[in-house]
Parts: sequence; C-alpha cells; structure tokens
Amino acid sequence: MSMILSSLILIPLVGAIVALFMGGSRDKLAKYVAIAFSAVTLIVSSLLLFKIFGEFDELGESYEWISNNTFIMNYALEVDGLSILMVFLTSLLVVLVNVFSIDEHRENNNYFYALILAMEVGLMGVYLAADYFLFYIMWEVTLIPMYFMISWYGGPRRHYSAIKFFIYTHVASLVMLIGIFAIGYESVASGPVNYSFEAVKAGIAGTALETQSLIFALLFFGFMVKMPSVPFHTWLPDAHTEAPTEGSVLLAGVMLKMGSYGIIRFCIEALPDAAEHWQWLIIAIALVSIIYGAYGCIAQTDLKKMVAFSSISHMGMVMLGIGCLSDAGITFAVFQMFAHGLITAMLFMVCGMTGHKVGTREIPLLGGLAGRMPVYATFMMIAFMASLGLPGLVGFWGEFPVIMAFYEFILEEDVIWMLVFCMLSLMLTAGYYLWAMQRTLFGPETKKIDLSKAHDVGHFEFAALLVLAILVAFFGVWPDGALQFIDPYVDGLFGVI
Amino acid sequence: MIAEYTWLIPFIPMMCFLIIGIIGKKTPEKGGYIAIAGALSAFIISAAVSYEYLTGDAFDAGEAITSEIEWFQIGTYTMHLGYYVDGLTCAMMLFSSFISTLIFIYSLGYMHDQGERKNRYYAEVSLFLTGMLGLIVSSNFLELFIFWEVMGLCSYLLIGFWSFRHHDGDAASANAASAAKKAFLVTRMGDVCLMGGLFILLNQFGSLDYTTMFATAELVAEADPDMLTLGLLLMFGGVIGKSAQFPLHDWLPDAMAGPTTVSSLIHAATMVKAGVYLVARAFPIYVMDGNVMLFVGIIGGVTAFIAATMALNNMNIKKVLAYSTISQLGYMILALGAGGYLWSLGYYELGALGFFAGCFHMINHAFFKALLFMGSGSVIHGTGTEDMRLMGGLFKKMKITATTMLFGCLAIAGIPIFSGFWSKDLVIDAAMAAFEHGTADGATWFIILWVLAVITAFMTAFYMFRMWFMTFMGEPRENAQHCHGESPKTMTMPLVILAIFALISGLFMFVGLADMLPLHEGMELVTLDGMEEGIELFKNPYTYLTLILAIVGIVIAYLMYVKKTINPGKFNKFGESWLYKALTKRWWFPDLYNQISWKLGYGVAKGVNYIDRQIVDGTVNGLSSAVVGGGDAISKVQTGHVQDYSSIVLLGVAVLSVVVLLIVAQLGGL
Repeated sequence: MSMILSSLILIPLVGAIVALFMGGSRDKLAKYVAIAFSAVTLIVSSLLLFKIFGEFDELGESYEWISNNTFIMNYALEVDGLSILMVFLTSLLVVLVNVFSIDEHRENNNYFYALILAMEVGLMGVYLAADYFLFYIMWEVTLIPMYFMISWYGGPRRHYSAIKFFIYTHVASLVMLIGIFAIGYESVASGPVNYSFEAVKAGIAGTALETQSLIFALLFFGFMVKMPSVPFHTWLPDAHTEAPTEGSVLLAGVMLKMGSYGIIRFCIEALPDAAEHWQWLIIAIALVSIIYGAYGCIAQTDLKKMVAFSSISHMGMVMLGIGCLSDAGITFAVFQMFAHGLITAMLFMVCGMTGHKVGTREIPLLGGLAGRMPVYATFMMIAFMASLGLPGLVGFWGEFPVIMAFYEFILEEDVIWMLVFCMLSLMLTAGYYLWAMQRTLFGPETKKIDLSKAHDVGHFEFAALLVLAILVAFFGVWPDGALQFIDPYVDGLFGVI
Repeated sequence: MIAEYTWLIPFIPMMCFLIIGIIGKKTPEKGGYIAIAGALSAFIISAAVSYEYLTGDAFDAGEAITSEIEWFQIGTYTMHLGYYVDGLTCAMMLFSSFISTLIFIYSLGYMHDQGERKNRYYAEVSLFLTGMLGLIVSSNFLELFIFWEVMGLCSYLLIGFWSFRHHDGDAASANAASAAKKAFLVTRMGDVCLMGGLFILLNQFGSLDYTTMFATAELVAEADPDMLTLGLLLMFGGVIGKSAQFPLHDWLPDAMAGPTTVSSLIHAATMVKAGVYLVARAFPIYVMDGNVMLFVGIIGGVTAFIAATMALNNMNIKKVLAYSTISQLGYMILALGAGGYLWSLGYYELGALGFFAGCFHMINHAFFKALLFMGSGSVIHGTGTEDMRLMGGLFKKMKITATTMLFGCLAIAGIPIFSGFWSKDLVIDAAMAAFEHGTADGATWFIILWVLAVITAFMTAFYMFRMWFMTFMGEPRENAQHCHGESPKTMTMPLVILAIFALISGLFMFVGLADMLPLHEGMELVTLDGMEEGIELFKNPYTYLTLILAIVGIVIAYLMYVKKTINPGKFNKFGESWLYKALTKRWWFPDLYNQISWKLGYGVAKGVNYIDRQIVDGTVNGLSSAVVGGGDAISKVQTGHVQDYSSIVLLGVAVLSVVVLLIVAQLGGL
C-alpha cells in the first residue's frame, strides 16, 4: 500500500513539531519552516489531484488500529472525487495564509505556525479518513488549534469568542459522536462493530427507517452547527471577528466545509432514505440560512462580521444543493463548497487586512479608500463580485446550478413560488456587498480616522491574493476543471441511491 | 471560412482588457491606443464575418452559422459555448464595434487630462466592449447571460469612475459612488428575474441553445403554455432592468455621474441595447405568447411617454439625453411588442414590420445618440459645466459640435431624410397596425400606446431642440463666456463621422438592411421589403401628423428659448406648479425606491440583527449560564481563565455522555 495519503497528514505534523521548536532567537525561521512544509504538502496534493500517483481508488490505506470483541477501529484513509477538492483546497489555503502572513510581526511565531500546521493535520485527516472514529478524532484535532489560535492571537474579545467557538462545536461534535456510536451499533446484528465507512454503510442499509432517521438527525445536527446553519450559527460571527486573519481564512475556507462534507459523506451516502425523510427540513434550514444570513450581512458594521454572515448565507446555498438530493444539486453543492473556499479566503484576507492597513474594520469609519489603496480596492472588488455570484467568476457556478436544481425540486413539489426566496437572496447579496463597497472604497475619503499611515497591499499579501484571484477567474471560466472530479463521485452516489 | 473566427470578436477586446490592465501604464496614452486597436480589429473581423455570412449560402437559406463546444453539465442539461451568426448578429456587432471604436478615439481627447486613471478607463471600456460583443455572438442564453452580467459589472465600474477623488470634490464622488451602486442593483433586480426565466426555459426546453429553442418553441408552447408565459415574463424582467424600462428606468439618469464617453457607450453601443437585443433575439419564442408581447408593448409605450415628460424641464444637458434614451428605448420595445403581438395573431408581414422597426430604430438610435452624447461631451469639455443655464451662444465658438449636434437633434426629432424619421415612423406604424388588427383588449391598449407614442414624438422634438437652443443659441451665459473654442480633432472627427451616419443610416432600409433581418414562419422566410415600406411611409397620413407635431415642437422650443416670445415660466407657474415639481422629482420614483429599499433592506436587516443578537444568541448564552448554574457564566468566560471554560466543557461532556447512553440503549431496544 502506498503512503501518499498518510504523507498528507504526516508532513504537516512533522512541520508543526519542527515549527514549535523554532522559538526565541530562531523565531523568524518558524514561518519559513511552515511555508516549506505546507508547500511540500501542496505539491503532494497537487500531484494527487492530477492523478500522477494513479487513480484515486488505488490509493486507499487501511490498517486495523484497535480491535477487540466490541469494536474495530481502523486507520483507514481514502480519497475520492468529493474529498480531493477539499484536500487540495486545504493544502492550498495553508500555503497561502503562510505566505500572506510573512510580513506580519507577532510574538511567538513558532506557536502560531505550529497551530496552523496542526490545523492542516486535522483537516487533512477529516477529509481523508475512511473510518468513523478516525474521522471523529481528526474532527476534534481541528478544533483545538483553532481554539488556541483565537484565544492567543485574536482581537480584544478573543477569550469570549474562543470559548464560544469551542463550546458550540464541541457540543455539536459530541452529538455527532452519539450518532457515530449509534450508526456503528445499528450496523451490525452481532459481533464487533467495524467503524470503517464501508462496513457501516453496508450494515446500516437494511435497518428500519425510524432508526436511520434518528441517526441522521444526530449526525446532521453535529454537521449543521459546523457549517453553520441558523439557528446554531452565532458562534461564527464572533469567532471571525476575533480570530486573526489567517485563522479566519482557514476557518471559513476549509473548516466550515467539514460540516457539509460530513453531511454528504455520512448523511447522504450512508443514510439516503433518511435524507429523503428529512428533505424538507434540510431545505427549510437551507433557505432560512440563506435569507437570514444575507439580512444579517446588511446590518453589520464590521467588515469581517459581514463576511462571516455571508458565509452563513453561502453555506446555506450548499445545504440547499444537498437538500435537493438530485444529481445536479449535490454536484454543484460540492462545487459551491470549493468555490466558497476560494472566494471566502480572499474575502477574509482583504477584510482582515483592512484592520492592519487602516486601523479599523468598522464600515462607518471608512470611506474613499480606493484612492489611497487601489490594489487593495481591486482585490476587494474581485472578492465581493465573486461572492455575489458574478458570472465569469467561480461563485456563479456555485449558485446558478444549485438554484436550477432547487427549481426542479420545487417544480416537482408544485411550489415554484419558492423560487422567490432564491431571487431575494441574490438581490440581498448584491445589495450588501455593493453597499459595503460604496461605504468603504468609494465616496469622499474618510476624515474620521487617520489615514496618513494607511498603506497598500504588501508583496506577499499581493502574491497570495493574486493566486486566489486567478483561480477564482479560472474556475469561473472553466468550471469543468473542478466538476470533472465531482461528477464521477456523484454518479457513483446515485448508483447507490 | 472567416466565420470560424467569430469567437475572436469578443476575445480581442478581452485580451486588450488584460494587456491594458497589466502593462497599460507603460504604453502611450495609458493603453488608449491598445483599446482603439482592439475595438477596431473587432470591427474589422465583424465586417469580414458579416460579409462572408451575407454573401454566403446560409444567409440565402435563412439559416444561421453556428458552432459550439460542450462546456459542462448541470444534471442532465448540457451547457455549450459557441457563436451564432445571423443577420441580427451581424447588424448588432457591426454598429457596436464601429461606434465603440469612435468613442474610444474620442476618449483620447476627452479623457486626456485624467493621468494615471486613463489606464483603468481603457481597461474597463475594453471589458465593456467584450461584454457587448460576447453577448451578441453568443449561441445560447446562458452565455448571453454571462456577458450580460459582465456588462453590468463594467457599467458599475465606469459609472463610478469618479467615485473617489472626484475633481469636483467630495459631494461629486459620493454622488458617483451612489449612482454606480444604484445602476448595479437596479439592473441586478432585472437580472435576477432573467435568471429565474432561464431556469424555467431551461427546464421547459431542456436546453438554452438558440438553435434547439427556436426549433422546438412551438412544441413547448403547446405542451405547457403557462410555464412558458412565466418564463418569458421573467426574462423580460431582465430587459426592463437592463434597457431601463419603466418601472426600473430610474438608474439611467443617475448613471450620468460617469464620464460622458461612458454614457455614450452605455446608451449607444452597449448596455441598454442589450435588453432590446434580447427581445429581438428571443423573438421566435416570444411570439408564442401574444399576451406577453402585449405586455412588452405596454411597458415600452409607457416608458417612452414617461421618460419624455421628465426630459421636458431638465436643465442638465446629459440628463436630457438620458431621458431621451429611455424614451427611445421605449419606442424600440413598443415596436417589438406590437410586432410580436401581430405575429402571434398570424399577421406575419405586419409582425415582421414591428420586429424590423424595433431593430432599425435601435441601430439608428445608436448612431445619433452616440453623436449627441459625444457632442454634449464636447460642450462640457469646453464649458466645464453640465448645466444648460450656464451655456448659450456656443454656436459661434463650437461650430463643428453645434452643427453635428443639430444633425443628431434632427434625427431624433424625426425630420425626414434623417435616420430617426424612418425608424420612428415605422414604430408608430407598427403600433397602429396592432390597433387595427388586434383583438378587443389588445386593440384598446395599442390605440392608447399609439397616442402616447405620437405625443412622445412631439415632446422629443421639443426637448431636444430646447436643449440645442439653450446650449448653442442666444447670449453666452456664465461658463459659455469662458469657453476656449472647439474641442480637439480626436473629438470632432468622430462627431463628424457620426453626423454623417445620423443623416444616412435611415437609408440603410432601402439598401438591404430589411433583408438582413428575416424571420421564420415554419419553413417560410418572412422578410420586409424595405423599399416598399419606405415609400409606404409617405402615403401614410399619420406620418404627416407626427411630422407636423415634431415641427410644432421645434417651433415652440424656438419661440421659448431663442425668440423668447413665449415665457416658459408661465406654464409651470415659475416652478411652482405640481406638475413641474413632479417632473423635477422624476414622478417621485427615486423617493419610492429609496423608501422600499431602505425599509425592505435595511429595516428588515436591523430586525434580523436584533433577533440574532438578543434572542438567538441570547438564548444560547442564557442556556449556558443556566447549565453552569452561576448565572454569570458569560462574565466568567470573558475573564479568560481556562479553568472556567474547562468546567463548562466537562459539564457538557458529562451531560451528553448520559444522553448518549440513553439513546444508544433506546436504539438497542433495551
């Protein structure tokens, strides 16, 4: 068995340990260590993406880890069309945040970069795991570095936000754990429970719908808090407001996707009948999140908080696609996860930067920045336009087909008036972004704050943003670049259902 | 086969956009020449493609040249990328690229003093042109929609071109920023409807490719007429937004905050023409539903009238032109609506008349409106103001500008020989025909629309000549006295070329333009005989009616603003009459929009935010304090001692573990 997938977890792990020891006088080295290790991870994941190592299904790894007469836990890793994009996105964003933060001066660089790499370990683990317990462990692994990231390197209310983040996601993951226990327990008639995806999926298929629905609800709750969906979303704006830019990028860019990934991987893949049972609930949660998140954005005065609410709205779009339970819906929900990862990384970089460059992120205090910071303004515009779904940029392909799938669903259910919700959300999204741009970038230059020290985007920040902007445009013009991975997976999924 | 290179037509300006964006700063005129070269090559290729198509077999057979590649799949639907060349495409891309080239040349003079900003300007206008040309050559509605939105973005950027560090100070930049936002959001409202329409059409037709849709339109219309109606109406929503039709017309006057060249681009060659083009392009589908076409006609006629009223008393030279654009767009939409209505009733010849009138007026309007805007730009360049009250007597100082603008005014007023005469009278003819042949309700509507159109023709002549007289005749007022004379050659040369077109483009009708725009009725081709229609115009008594009204309008303007024998103040009680106020307030549309968007947008958002903070978040915070039991969990949390949190977490874990066990036991059936 090849070790390619394990290496994606091991390289950042080693990197995190090495970075940790780059304290004191070697402080400056930490960031280069982080860049080096994350770059190697990115290279491996890119080669994996281009199938240099061979087809995805040849790369699985599986070892029995703990085995006794009640349960079998495996160290099992797999990659497929669903996870490969997330793996690639994770490794890409980690490199980019490392590059982005080169010019940043902060104390204890070594801890900071060790945390970032530790997060990468967890994220890779979540997306590659092929065993319920491994998945759960890795899920928790992502949680802890993020907690410390916020509470050590965050803004003024960081402790409150960090603990809120921790409690919310931890409670959610405990509920999910119950779900995992339950699904394992129910998947076997007798003998030890094998927690590998395959075994559970095969075992759970024949059980009663009531059982499946209950398990579905438990798992779904865990994932939905992570996404996050209304009404369990309030940890997100707080966490983002306080988290350092790098943390926000990873949190919104790839961590939120753990939720939607989990829903597709567990709830849809293993419990398709239950998914149909709960379909309207999923749709309802999705629609509420989309509209509620969009309205939330309009009222925010903090740029980062606004973008955080927009994540709620856009992840609602992912949920909507999943809720359609159709080929197109799920395909483009996954695409939207990828698209949102790229776009939101840009959004948080730009908005986080505002704090450093100008001194505040409060929209009412800003104004007319485009004249002084044209490059910054350009990137903000690209990010906002991509996020509001401008065709030609990647965000559009996460929205248009999902709504199309939703339209087909409501047409079948004979409730096409529900299209109004989607149209409203598209309008609101354009509204809050345009309004924010009008107040921050354009109009007379603000006199409420001292702009004399404001400076435009630095070289490294520019590089990171440029890479993202190019990808946003590239996949906007050629969505098949990502769809070619998703399609076979979704086809397989519907072969199952 | 040159047609194989049709994709280059939008691609070249696209490349220019990238080149200017990346290295434009280092080139002379900051990319100005690159933009001109790009537009010119697009025009040359358009001309070559058009020549090949119009002389080829496909054209004789009434077929389009089309080619596409598979792009990607949405569920069972396949999306394509490709081009589609027929007569309409040829006409559109020729005038768009030609006029854009002239506007870019003119920009060399007009934008000369903009320094570093020129780079941004030329990059953005190139992208704008990409959007328009891409939209024109698209082979399906999705592709069209993409370029449609790209244009929306560019209009946003260009209307807001001076949205920061405006040379007239802070108020002006705030104004530009708000105008740009308004333009994007109002058109976006239409775009969202259009998107909804596309969902329905894609579902109904199973494809968005023109070829498939046109071929199956009849079958689909029979299978599910209601859904088709809804889809077409939503699609028309996009047109209402983009082509500034009532009730989404209000962004266009505000859009005057951008540079005049941009206004010229938006009004003549691109943007607002896209909406009319969409109706013309989807005409074979639209005609499946006569009621939708009636609705289209009503919107067009009402827009033409309302916009014309608002131009009557405006003092801003650009705003007068903006209202006139809305009004003329209304004419085009009215003609298409009337044509489609007649077609759906089986009057194919008359339907073709309406269709041709709409397209023809769009082309003529492109020439004379580009001319008028660039002329006004030349005036603004010379006087440094947009207020006509500060101008006057400029004829002596700016002979070329004044003469060419006079050509434009004559064209738009519909004086014979000038282009507007031919197309406008065809439009009014089409409305009349729809009245004569329409069924009960339709006929009633179309006679009303006909009356509105005729009154609009009168108002148009009046306000255009009011503008011309106030600007160029009489005594030089304030700013006019400081005018240094004629604008540079780069600005006057395009004016002269366009003036020639304003004079002759109407005659295209006699030399084959009508043949370029055939329609299909089953296997049969329906084409208008341009020569015959042209002669027919002179036999039609209504032509003389509108002509007399237009001349009366000009005479009244002359008496009011040159001879001063009629005091305009008498009519509006010196600005005190309610009508005058209504017009200056634009019939209160802006206030209405502000109220709606403020209440439905920000008002609801405030409420949502309150609920979010107080109730949703409050419940959770309350719960957590209840769990911890101290009631001051949050304050503890904020103190930052890790021990406190861990106790909460542990408690949570404990509670949940119990729940786990209970549920597992339950599931196990214990």
